[in-house]
Amino acid sequence: MSTTTHNAPASRSAAGARHSLTFGGILRSEWIKLFSLLSTRILLVLTFAAIIGVGVLTAFVRYNILDSMAASARAQGLEPSSDMLEQSMPPGSGLDLYNLPNAGLQIGILIFGALAVLFMASEYATGMIRSTMSAVPARTPAFAAKAIILAVVSYVITTVAGAVTFLLSVPMFQGLGLDLSWSTDGVVYSVFTGGLYVAGVALIGLSLGTLLRNSAGAITVLVGIFFVIPIAAGFASLIPGEFWKYVPQYIPSEAGGRFLAIGEIDAYIDPWQGGLLFLGYVLLFLVPAMIVLKNRDV
Amino acid sequence: MIEATDLAKAYGGKTAVAGVSFTVRAGQVTGFLGPNGAGKSTTMRMIMGLDRPTSGSVTVNGLPYAQHKAPLHEVGALLDAKAVHTSRSAYNHLLAMAATHGIPKARVHEVIEMTGLEAVAKKKAGGFSLGMGQRLGIAAALLGDPQTLILDEPVNGLDPEGVLWVRNLVRYLANQGKTVFLSSHLMSEMAQTADHLIVIGRGRIIADAPVKDIIAGTRQAKTLVRTDDAQFLQSLLAGNGVTVDQSEPETLTVTGLDPRQIARVALDNEVLVYELTPKVSSLEDAYFDLTKDEVEYHSHLAGGPAGSQPQAAPAPATAGK
Repeated sequence: MSTTTHNAPASRSAAGARHSLTFGGILRSEWIKLFSLLSTRILLVLTFAAIIGVGVLTAFVRYNILDSMAASARAQGLEPSSDMLEQSMPPGSGLDLYNLPNAGLQIGILIFGALAVLFMASEYATGMIRSTMSAVPARTPAFAAKAIILAVVSYVITTVAGAVTFLLSVPMFQGLGLDLSWSTDGVVYSVFTGGLYVAGVALIGLSLGTLLRNSAGAITVLVGIFFVIPIAAGFASLIPGEFWKYVPQYIPSEAGGRFLAIGEIDAYIDPWQGGLLFLGYVLLFLVPAMIVLKNRDV
Repeated sequence: MIEATDLAKAYGGKTAVAGVSFTVRAGQVTGFLGPNGAGKSTTMRMIMGLDRPTSGSVTVNGLPYAQHKAPLHEVGALLDAKAVHTSRSAYNHLLAMAATHGIPKARVHEVIEMTGLEAVAKKKAGGFSLGMGQRLGIAAALLGDPQTLILDEPVNGLDPEGVLWVRNLVRYLANQGKTVFLSSHLMSEMAQTADHLIVIGRGRIIADAPVKDIIAGTRQAKTLVRTDDAQFLQSLLAGNGVTVDQSEPETLTVTGLDPRQIARVALDNEVLVYELTPKVSSLEDAYFDLTKDEVEYHSHLAGGPAGSQPQAAPAPATAGK
């Protein structure tokens, strides 16, 4: 019988067991990276508050519009009914009440998009990318892990913030006799799709950060896509001729926005088509970013 | 064990590494020596799969780095002390690196302790001095207790105590049977640390031999002799593998004899010798001999008539990237 004792040197004691690279490990690593930055934690809390704040403010503006419409109806001797108020809003005008959960979505798009850009571009700026790619030399798993974490975080925060926005806004409209609740058509749909749209924007941001490796440049392009192109498309729709009227619905922000709406509109793509189109845009950025990341020197 | 075969890298049209082949063996410290821009860092980045070779291949422990199941256990690398997010604490940086391989927190604390980073581990890495950054990079390289260690200029910015620590660490790891590949442009550091040297210049391997062979092989010991009868002494010493140069009156440089032999000849022939200075060949001499034609970024002294511009600063040698 022999007993062998190993006097393992200090450097082996905790590292002795062999661990291997797993996707779960990479996910945990990216999670630590995201939340170990104080700036990220502050930003996420502020974003949550901003989505709700802007959402409730937007709801208040809508309330005021409806309130003044009711007042002018009363001045003409009519008693405004809730049906009349609801129908005064043409569908697709963005003033539908069922999409109150997404009233603060624009701020979420801007911040999560920028956060996603930084999640990758800051690694290039600081040189961290070389540590990341040394630990995960296959590279694409690290990108996929970043994408999943960004999508989940932005989805959860946007969805919860959207639900809170709705809950805070509902009492205002009860004064007008409008009975809004979770069972109102489109409310639950809005809550669950708003986060998908924001997650999609975050993935485009991550891809731009990867392709351009530069925070300022990538954020500028992102803002261009989601805030400047819509304005340009708005002008384009003023060009005489039927053709230009129907072009704007195919740009990323409009396709994504259409996905959040319910019901059909004449000559417009259906919500699910808008959703697929938006998904196509996401892949249009995501796939080249992964290919470039895989092949480019870091 | 690292094996490079015809490894080449060109950036645009510029060749950084021109088809090098070498083997870095386990159980010894292999120094990778060369002037700035010689291709050291590029070669190391190719070993780590960060840069894609233009042609050729390199394997670590038999496989390309990216194909290992647990890369951090195979190779630990310090390629760039700045490969850290500046806003993240050293501890969280190491924790995130460790998480990829499921390396426990205990190991993170261990490498922090080994590298002497306890006091600053919770501070943002962006505020670290160059030396602290190097220690953090070494800590990250050691995380997976790798079989092969690649360190690019590890002693840069370290204080004397840190330099000694790195030297002892790499010697200890090599004695454990690990492969240690260490780059430097500091010849003196290499002379004290490395067993084997690979010298690179302009992307080509100039020498690949044990340190002592490189020192011994390139230049023979010389002795400076001052005597009042140079001509006579020269005729006595010269020949039979011994060369004697007269650089100035009464001064000879003798190659091939040691000072004691020269003194004996002088005494036997009653020649007055008033100085005998051995010029010991060092790794530094060997290095300059090897690389004098290969330095890409020479320091240029400002031209013009001699002495007219004494204050003209030499252009700094720039590091190629």
